[in-house]
Amino acid sequence: MSVKYIPVQWNKNKWWYDGIMLFAVVCYLWVFIEITPHILNHESPINAQVHNARAFGSCAFLMLSVILTIGPLARLDNRFLPLLYNRRHFGVMTAFVALAHAGYILDWYFAFSKAGKYEALLFANTSYTQLLGFPFEAFGIFALLCLLILATTSHDFWMKFLTPPIWKALHYLIYAAYISVVAHVSFGILQDQQNQAFPILFVVVACAVVGLHLLAAISERKKAGEHEKSTDGWIEVCATSEMNEGYAKIAKLPKGDRVAVFLQDGKLSAISNACAHQNGPLGEGKILNCLVTCPWHGFQYDVTNGRSPAPFTETVPTYNLAVENDRVLVDPEANQPGTFVEPLVLSKPKGGS
Amino acid sequence: MTQKTEPFFVGYLKVPKGLRSFLLMASLMFVGGFLAASLVIGATQDDAGKAGFRFDYGRQTVTGVVELKPYPLLRVTKGNDRIAVGHTLMLTGGGKAGVMDRATPLHGKLATASGVILERGTLDMLQLRGGKAGLKAAEGEASIPTSEPLGKWRLAGEICDGKCLAGAMQPGRGLAHKACANLCLIGGIPPVFVSSKPVEGSEFLLVASADGGPMLQSLYDKVGQFIELEGELERRGDMLVLKIDETSIGLAK
Repeated sequence: MSVKYIPVQWNKNKWWYDGIMLFAVVCYLWVFIEITPHILNHESPINAQVHNARAFGSCAFLMLSVILTIGPLARLDNRFLPLLYNRRHFGVMTAFVALAHAGYILDWYFAFSKAGKYEALLFANTSYTQLLGFPFEAFGIFALLCLLILATTSHDFWMKFLTPPIWKALHYLIYAAYISVVAHVSFGILQDQQNQAFPILFVVVACAVVGLHLLAAISERKKAGEHEKSTDGWIEVCATSEMNEGYAKIAKLPKGDRVAVFLQDGKLSAISNACAHQNGPLGEGKILNCLVTCPWHGFQYDVTNGRSPAPFTETVPTYNLAVENDRVLVDPEANQPGTFVEPLVLSKPKGGS
Repeated sequence: MTQKTEPFFVGYLKVPKGLRSFLLMASLMFVGGFLAASLVIGATQDDAGKAGFRFDYGRQTVTGVVELKPYPLLRVTKGNDRIAVGHTLMLTGGGKAGVMDRATPLHGKLATASGVILERGTLDMLQLRGGKAGLKAAEGEASIPTSEPLGKWRLAGEICDGKCLAGAMQPGRGLAHKACANLCLIGGIPPVFVSSKPVEGSEFLLVASADGGPMLQSLYDKVGQFIELEGELERRGDMLVLKIDETSIGLAK
């Protein structure tokens, strides 16, 4: 967390994260560009510009696929949560790799004519009314624009400036970009492939991305569905015996929001499940040093009032709680962010350590 | 949901011991996966065949009669060791530019052409040097040799730009290359129909419109597609010209 904006708040884990990601990307490009031409051994080699464009393009597709699988993987298995921590840096790296791909294409296929290359990109193929021969470059342009917008606005400054809901909505563009990339490849290079290795790999990876999202959605639906019983308008969260000291139970509210009910020092408190930073699932976090800690980026909140500790200023809504017949109930109407709510003492704290 | 027995990762704190081996394994799989994918994708790219600029032949200079329809051609009357008399050479400028402007004043006249050859199998093309060094009037009188009509044909294949197809780009055909091909054709590069089966001994046919002029712009939409079409075929020297009936074009089955 920070109270001022600096380009990157580096720490050891971020160095490792970026180092591993960069190493994988460099390995990919090195093998593709330097090693595979010798394996191919074509009598007339593929033009270096085309070869490089393919290297960077396929790398960007894989990077984007990895980025999109991290979210559902983390929802299905908590051990993947650390991969979310610095995902934005990998996203920025992807935008640069995609930009390099576009550069090679522009400087090769759209160069050498009397028209400017950007102009040529727009008028060379205008067969928009047919599937075969559709100007697949348009999908690539759209995807690249999305990636550049996402990379440009990835810094926390933009999240604060745009507000988290708008920033989050804007960053759903990643899905539009991915669909566009899939269309770009499907209407482009896949149309000419004789060797089926790449098409098969492409379909497997794209299906894995879609499949993991479906699995995660089904899993979350099951989890949330267990808590939808209501008593006099209040929502039943769980039995008091299910609460564990330092951890939360999450319940889905009628309006679609989620609430996280924590047990701290034998007392219950409830705050919004959505972190003010990037809507991270606070209920999947843990209380460290008396503060709820978000599992995504480590933002912290006082569970009794939803406020980040000074000098930080983030706040999340709090909720009123009650216990009836050993069942934990929550008022679905949220309090204003940062409102103190007296913790509810459990008669017999369960699972305390 | 996180359980109290599970290690909890916080980015700015040390990685919990219980997660280290898992993250190490995930990192190895990630790097290994990228390496494997790179090998698979990079090493299975299709072979575009033998083609390209033949700089190894050296500069080629030949004399012949210039013909403008459907695109600038040189009907060779005085060849060299590599280019025989009677050969018909397609002419092109540098980049994605044809040479109609330079060839027009020489229509039906003898001219000397000089440049570098592009070659794919039996298909070749001469990329002229700049200015008069590339194409200039030659002494002597000559007329355009007659063409031999070969009748109406129904063919399946692909319209490409002749220059990329001949090896200016590798690969230089297909739907992924369509925009580049269109840009070449817009610039005046001769289009070539690649027939799925050889016709009169050649699979490469210079494309013309039904009236013998340049290919109609409406056919740009068909470039790169596998299509069926009908057209009148004629032989000009050792080159086949296909005058396409634009109304007969459809996707090949």
